[in-house]
Amino acid sequence: MIRRFPGLRRLLHIERGRATVDRAVDDELRFHFDMTMRELMAGGMNPEEARRETQRRFGDVQRTRERLTTIDRSRVGQEQRAEWWSAFAQDLRYALRGLRLKPWFAVAVILTLGLGIGANAAMFGIVDRLLFRPPPFLDAPARESRIYLMRSIRGTETSQSFTGYRRYLDLRETTTSFDAMTPYYVNKAAIGTGEATLEMNVAISGSDLWKMFAIKPAIGRFFTAEEDVPPAGTRVAVLSYSYWQTEFGGRKEALGTLMDIGPAKYTIVGVAPDGFNGFELDPVVAFIPISAENAAVGRGGPENPWYSTYNMTWFEVFARRRPGVTEAAATTDLTNAYRQSYRKQTEANPKNQPYALTKPHAMVGPVLRDRGPNERSDAKVASWLIGVAGMVLLIACANVANLLLARALKRRREIAVRIALGVSRGRLLMQLLTESLLLAILGGGLGIAIAQWGGIAMRRLLLGQDDSGPSAFADSRLLLFAIALALMAGILTGLVPAFQTGRGDVASALKAGSREGVVHRSRLRVGLLIVQAALSVMLLIGAGLFLRSLSNVENVHMGYDADRLLYVGMNARGVKRDSLQNSALRRALLAKAQSLPGVEHATLALTVPFRSSWDFSIYVAGIDSTQRLGSFTLQAGSQDFFATMGTRILRGRSFNSTDGEHAPLVMVASESMVKALWPNQDAIGKCVRINADTAPCTTVVGIAEDVRRQSMAETQMHYYMPADQFNPNIGGLFVRTRGLAADKGEEVRRALQSLMDGGSYVTVTPMTTIIASQIRSWKLGALMFSVFGALALVLAAIGLYSVIAYNVTQRTHEMGVRVALGAQPRDVIRLIVNEGLRIVLPGVALGAVLALVAGRWIAPLLFQVSPKDPPVLVGVVTILVAVATVASWLPARRAARVDPNEALRAD
Amino acid sequence: MANNDLELLQGTLDLLILKTLTWGARHGYAIASWIRDTTQQRLQIEDGALYTALHRMEKRGWIEAEWGVSDNNRKAKYYQLTSKGRRQLRVKTAVWTEYAAAVFQVLKTD
Repeated sequence: MIRRFPGLRRLLHIERGRATVDRAVDDELRFHFDMTMRELMAGGMNPEEARRETQRRFGDVQRTRERLTTIDRSRVGQEQRAEWWSAFAQDLRYALRGLRLKPWFAVAVILTLGLGIGANAAMFGIVDRLLFRPPPFLDAPARESRIYLMRSIRGTETSQSFTGYRRYLDLRETTTSFDAMTPYYVNKAAIGTGEATLEMNVAISGSDLWKMFAIKPAIGRFFTAEEDVPPAGTRVAVLSYSYWQTEFGGRKEALGTLMDIGPAKYTIVGVAPDGFNGFELDPVVAFIPISAENAAVGRGGPENPWYSTYNMTWFEVFARRRPGVTEAAATTDLTNAYRQSYRKQTEANPKNQPYALTKPHAMVGPVLRDRGPNERSDAKVASWLIGVAGMVLLIACANVANLLLARALKRRREIAVRIALGVSRGRLLMQLLTESLLLAILGGGLGIAIAQWGGIAMRRLLLGQDDSGPSAFADSRLLLFAIALALMAGILTGLVPAFQTGRGDVASALKAGSREGVVHRSRLRVGLLIVQAALSVMLLIGAGLFLRSLSNVENVHMGYDADRLLYVGMNARGVKRDSLQNSALRRALLAKAQSLPGVEHATLALTVPFRSSWDFSIYVAGIDSTQRLGSFTLQAGSQDFFATMGTRILRGRSFNSTDGEHAPLVMVASESMVKALWPNQDAIGKCVRINADTAPCTTVVGIAEDVRRQSMAETQMHYYMPADQFNPNIGGLFVRTRGLAADKGEEVRRALQSLMDGGSYVTVTPMTTIIASQIRSWKLGALMFSVFGALALVLAAIGLYSVIAYNVTQRTHEMGVRVALGAQPRDVIRLIVNEGLRIVLPGVALGAVLALVAGRWIAPLLFQVSPKDPPVLVGVVTILVAVATVASWLPARRAARVDPNEALRAD
Repeated sequence: MANNDLELLQGTLDLLILKTLTWGARHGYAIASWIRDTTQQRLQIEDGALYTALHRMEKRGWIEAEWGVSDNNRKAKYYQLTSKGRRQLRVKTAVWTEYAAAVFQVLKTD
């Protein structure tokens, strides 16, 4: 009987604790002994004989007793499990039936949770890769680090992870804390030949790279220390697995073949294992020795070769500490080495900024760039967005909790009946939880699908990656995260209504009619709405701030017309030209570009904003050290430079045909440079000596407006020289197009490519593309905050609507009375809309206050907009009030149409 | 006396208990007395083994127990057959009868 009706056991108060089982066995045995003794004594034995006979008949009492309790305990456990499962199956059936009966409710809840969980999982997938997950195959992640070198410049400390080869050698030789150290950088290089030439990423490193990862080559071998010796190195390449698959179909014959990488041919000696991608996220096609690459591109030129100079910095250093060496010890060791190296540098170049001023020191930092001191603003925005996604999930949960709560309130009588019938509250709680967990798990499934598709789009935006990356369905960390979120959401949304219903007074719920049982509004539901409104306000304020930042950054006066400019880079591959030929080719390219119908102006250019810069120490009469004022960057261009760029000359003149190679040296200085060097003086005609205080005078002939070329936020001290006077053989071309530059790129590329001989080629990049990566973080912030903010607003509006609508149906009676007493529809509407606003306004206020507090942390991510921007605050509050009004007006209209006769008769 | 006792064959005790319970719910003492009286004490069954068998069968779901009040007004644990137990009894009886018949067949052959 009992076994078949689980509830019955509780009804009959059969308890099943451990002690209870033992007691039951004792009771049973005692009864047996008493009865046997009695029978034996009735047969004529004395008590002592009877006792002995009873014992004899029974056998070993103690052992039997133990055996019985063991059996019973295991039986009880078995029964409890069976009962739990049958209860669970029943709950599940009940929940499924509920969903089938109200499919739209189910769809709404699953969609809400799916969006919330999906947004979070997708954001997690990105932040995980930026901030948490070490590069795959890393041998000892805890001991690996990226090295940072710190210097003070003008009193502010800057940490620099980029360094040069000479410095790397110094650090490597002087330190004792590391058992592996390698330079590492990823460069775009032309891969392949002829038409099929494509620019792809190549990783360049020392041979220690292979020591720092626990990997074996898929085929062939990795390159060795002997193949990485300056000045020339050996031109060998290790392919990435995926490139080997796509280009060579995974064939062994790839080994030993030659491959064009940038200006040189490399012999393929091996293939890295599947999934290995070095230290960074950008997918690479091959790994080559740093000596070979630098020798091939001739970095630094013959006077200033790459392996012996301190003055160029172009790669980062990764190192692995010896086992047992702490981070602090390694940092001390490394700082020591850096200081020695710095002294050596100063000995070689006395003009180097003095040690006492720069206070150099070093740090072993996290391998992941965005965990270190120079995290990218994209990563900062991403970490914010995960918080934002979390808020959206909270709102989604609040909404679902609200919906479940509304349902639970409707079922209150049913639940009260069940409690009265002896169903325990724990059991009821389980039932409500089963329902919400079922919904959450279905939502989680949808969320993972959303994370998969949304994640690809977000990765493209955030990491700038075009590859699809690992599938969300196959990423175990992401799946675990999504499941954890789903369970959390399920428990959260289930517990709220469970507590609410479990708390009620059974008797009063049973006594009251169906309506009175629920008429009093739930404070909890109102609380949830306030939270939702507050979260929506915060997200929308975030969206507003980022949108304003984006619009500010897009309207920044760059000092050049980015959307009309194309940068033309020249790559001389396999073609050796002397400087005369080189010069001739550049002039030919310039002339060809100028002759194109789609081109207005063209100029030679030494450097490209946001990509490269060039600086020398300069010497000006009357100023001790210009370096103390900061660095002065240099641009060199031909005659049409300023007309091409669209940079205005404020005073004086730009370059003209008289500024030839042998003419007196001239420069155009930027406004900021003029202000720094000659405040309150006329700069025109001043003399600047470049690179040495004995150099001939370069005379300032003009002053140009400031340009932004290293940061969107500030301008640099910058000056311009005629290319002929500086060096006409370095750099590329800027082309000013008629109409948008992006449309003319291919036309220009084809025309100029026709002049290139052999394997050499040109690359054409619109200036807007170069700038796009600079403003990506604001674009991303604006987009994601807007999407999440809108989602939050819609969810909150639905939540408010459903609560008001529900209240209205519950108060039909009251409305009927009011109308019967002469209330106008207008009054009823006002009453209900006011009620809606009364719920939402505290939430709006709370959200605004929280947003102001949080503004402090988000301020560095904004662009020229205060986190307390009044238009944004006012705008968001207005939007929320408007939405709240509409959301309560819709059900209010229905209430106003109540027919008092019908409403009152219903009782 | 011990020499004349019949050793109990494996599983026979279960069969005897199940059979005993076909006349309704009984407590352990009643089952023990009934078996002793019916077999005229020819079977040597320790009461401890009997209780072990009862509890084991309860765990298997062949019998179920409920606390009730005995004839002399004391709390006692009453066992009764479940439908599963009834099925077991049928099967075991058939097997045992067949076994006994087979053994007897051999023994009576001269």
